[in-house]
Amino acid sequence: MSTYLARHYIFTLTALYHQERPPHHTPHDMVYQPKVSVLIPARNEENVIGRILQRMTELTYPKEKLEVIVINDASTDRTSEIAEEYAKKHEYIRVAHRKPEDGGKGKPAALNHGLKHATSEIIYCFDADYYPQRDILEKLTTYFADPKVGAVQGRVTVLNEPNTLVTRLVALERIGGYRVDQLARDDLGLIPQFGGTVGGFRRSLLEFLGGWEADMLAEDTNLTFKTYLAGYKVRYANEAECYEEAVENWRSYWRQRCRWAKGHMQCAFRHLWPLIKSKNLRLREKIDGFLLLNIYFVPIFVGLAWIVGAALCLVHPFPWITSLWVFIPVSVYSSVGNFAPFFEVGIGAYLDGRARVYWLIPLLFLTFLFNMLICTKALIDLCLSKITGKKQHPWAKTLHNGRGKSYLNTPRRQSPAISKQKVC
Amino acid sequence: MCGILLANWHSFGHRRRRPNYLHVTVGVGVTVAIFLIYSSLNCMPNEPAPVSIAVFNFLFIFLIFPLEGPLLRKTFLLLSGNIVGLAWYLVKSSFGAASAYYLGVGAFKVLYVVMGPIIDLIWIVSVWSLGLSFLASTQRRNEKGKEGIN
Repeated sequence: MSTYLARHYIFTLTALYHQERPPHHTPHDMVYQPKVSVLIPARNEENVIGRILQRMTELTYPKEKLEVIVINDASTDRTSEIAEEYAKKHEYIRVAHRKPEDGGKGKPAALNHGLKHATSEIIYCFDADYYPQRDILEKLTTYFADPKVGAVQGRVTVLNEPNTLVTRLVALERIGGYRVDQLARDDLGLIPQFGGTVGGFRRSLLEFLGGWEADMLAEDTNLTFKTYLAGYKVRYANEAECYEEAVENWRSYWRQRCRWAKGHMQCAFRHLWPLIKSKNLRLREKIDGFLLLNIYFVPIFVGLAWIVGAALCLVHPFPWITSLWVFIPVSVYSSVGNFAPFFEVGIGAYLDGRARVYWLIPLLFLTFLFNMLICTKALIDLCLSKITGKKQHPWAKTLHNGRGKSYLNTPRRQSPAISKQKVC
Repeated sequence: MCGILLANWHSFGHRRRRPNYLHVTVGVGVTVAIFLIYSSLNCMPNEPAPVSIAVFNFLFIFLIFPLEGPLLRKTFLLLSGNIVGLAWYLVKSSFGAASAYYLGVGAFKVLYVVMGPIIDLIWIVSVWSLGLSFLASTQRRNEKGKEGIN
């Protein structure tokens, strides 16, 4: 717990006082623009697919070096029709259809299908509900000039932030996660995480690693660790922003986070030992990797600590357990330790120049409590699937309603994040 | 080519935000003064109060005072936070006494000892967030002012 506490503070202070770099400059200002492929997996995304494809046509990356592949994952709505319309008008946009019997097996399976159709060395992946900056590919691609970089991750910002309380809280989590966590990890030479979307991979590395693993629910975390174990690095580009449509209600939040928690725990079970043994990683990367892999166990331990603390306080099974023994660790962790993530989010918002989001920060306590339940359920589910020998974890797809569209090209109703940072 | 490229990879940094150590020093001084006043007046409502108020002061000094913003405003926010902290403890003590009387000693212990610090977190985070909000608004106003002048 204390290590996580220290980690939060180190990350926050690093993000606050780090050396800011000019955006997307290569050494000596050289231009590095190889041919790139953008994969967009889509299953029943008729509400949002047109928006991202329209954005693809507006990207400033040279079109002769661009290839956009929409993977129609056996959609039953108008997704295929809309994508085909764009493909007819723009020759760099193509649609790869999956058969109904193969479709619906999750994003990793769809991405592997798309990879077969891609012809470039750099492979980018964007979710259908995302809305990237126009020059995002230039910003991300420059990092690949470094041969040690295997993957690059951009920043995710919430598009529909003002819609509900949940979207506002998710936006705060994203600010803390990207503006502070990822940036500090990159700055300290630790392990920035590939987030599965708004990022790219070297094709050769991706193929060497076996592509996206269909049975992993957190295929992004899995790939991050496989990349590091293979001796490559992941870089984080804070200046490369992309806007996402966040989940709008607690039910969707629960489903999405459950998938993330389960997937992350799967990764922890799989990569913990290879990470410790690896000779490709420095000590600090091993420590950060260890903490990152176990992060979804923390809410469970905090919950347990509360329950055990309350029980010991009431029962007093041993004479040496006095209220002081219970009081000190609980006080310290609750007052200073739990404060650390709030501080991280607050400083992230401050660095973004946000003005009116701070009053929501105490409400993040709700999501913390919610995550406690989510992580506990995820762990129980994983243990049950281990015991019963059931390996397949169903991919809970997040539904997107496309309502984030209202915050684009309408200056009066723009989301605060967008109005501040200007969608260009 | 690759060697030159890698050697120069980290060499183009240009700006670093620096903590305001002078403000931090003043903040420490103000906090010491506040605690001297507390101890001389003996005005703490109950035992855990100094712990949480100390935690608040520590966090506020080291996390708010180094940021950009007027010193006077930061000091005012620190003092306001201390007043809120004291008021919070008066209310909490009353609830504690009521819970001990009506729910019994066991429930009182759980509420007060185990849940207490978590409940304290609410006021600490709220006041800290409010402080940050004030600083951010001032900064934005200053930036707008500069843009207007330019």
